[in-house]
Amino acid sequence: MMRPFDYLTLMQFAWAFLAIIGFSVRSNLKGIRVLFTGLGGGLCWASYLIILYYTKSMLLSVFLAIILVCIYSEVVARKLLTPVSVFVICVIIPLVPGRSLYYAMRAYISGQSMQASKYIFDTLMISGTIAMAIAIVASATNLILRLRHRF
Amino acid sequence: MNKISLQECSKLALETGRIILQSGGTTNRVELMMHKVCQGFGFEDSESFVTPTGIFLSLGDGDEQISTRIKRIEQRRIDLGKITQVSKLVNALQADIHNSRPLGETRSRDFYQELVRIDRENPYPTWVINLSGGATSGFFCLLFGGSWIEFAIAFMIGCLISLSLKYISKLPVNNFLLNALASALIVLLAKTIDTWIPNIRLDNIIIGGIMILVPGLALTNAIRDTMSGDLVSGTARGVEALIITIGIVAGSGAMLKVWDLLGY
Repeated sequence: MMRPFDYLTLMQFAWAFLAIIGFSVRSNLKGIRVLFTGLGGGLCWASYLIILYYTKSMLLSVFLAIILVCIYSEVVARKLLTPVSVFVICVIIPLVPGRSLYYAMRAYISGQSMQASKYIFDTLMISGTIAMAIAIVASATNLILRLRHRF
Repeated sequence: MNKISLQECSKLALETGRIILQSGGTTNRVELMMHKVCQGFGFEDSESFVTPTGIFLSLGDGDEQISTRIKRIEQRRIDLGKITQVSKLVNALQADIHNSRPLGETRSRDFYQELVRIDRENPYPTWVINLSGGATSGFFCLLFGGSWIEFAIAFMIGCLISLSLKYISKLPVNNFLLNALASALIVLLAKTIDTWIPNIRLDNIIIGGIMILVPGLALTNAIRDTMSGDLVSGTARGVEALIITIGIVAGSGAMLKVWDLLGY
């Protein structure tokens, strides 16, 4: 298990940063936005690792990390005159459960149904948590904007 | 300057909506942008209903004249750059209104030309897109604990997958089959390379490839649509995410099983 804030976390941050830059270039994003989506992706993965180290709870770390990067996208996307959903789509990618999906499939094929159901459960729980976090930030922002508009 | 006709305005609005929806924008944004375009050209009375597969737009001029158009959206591909550019264009229109109203025919012609330009434009050449697909795959492989040689293999597979996705999506296949074929190809390539190069862990390479295909866009849009009250689009996009996931699992699983049965 790695300690937070040492060079391993920094390297993981760098990998997530570069991966998300690749992803956003692949979906035709241009200019300075590419850099900021990459930064968001790195932030997402690094904060997940750091929170995971302190709380030892995977779902809580996913939840908090997604909330953090959603707030980041709401703020930065508005500054860069970009639709917020564009940012959110890019920055949550590191936490989308592709890994547990693959392990579930592999366990299912080799006939280990206990393992498979554990990984399927993980996949569903992580996607549900991501959904919940996005929903909370989206509705909260909506509420804040409406209130500010009114007063 | 004279106002443009009802028909022309609804055509412009529909074209705006089509580009955003085809590139993967949220329902809420499509409706908002179409409303802004109608407002910009002087038609306040517009109602729209947008689902992921079609746009319904009804535009009235305040009297008895009403123009209604329906647009079916056949194929969608993720293009976040187009969403950004069209949004910027429409917001520029909005800024123009505050300075001088009303907007006339010359402005509408400019607007249409800009839309066509954005629709045709490809900001990056194909090799950059393929390389960035490779970068995504390779760096996710490293992220999940791969070594440098695995990074190189994942990078190569990512490039090949990006290239082949371009050609597979030209065939008349649906979303499920597209993802199933792509993920089967990932496993096939990884297994083939495995027979030549010893001592590599395939798991990280295959996961790196799968991360290109995961339905992050469908998931995000499903939640944001549901939260903004567009229940039809929200459910439809949720089902889309599920179908893509099942496609990925079915494709890679089938290929792994076939490879096992062949006995390598």
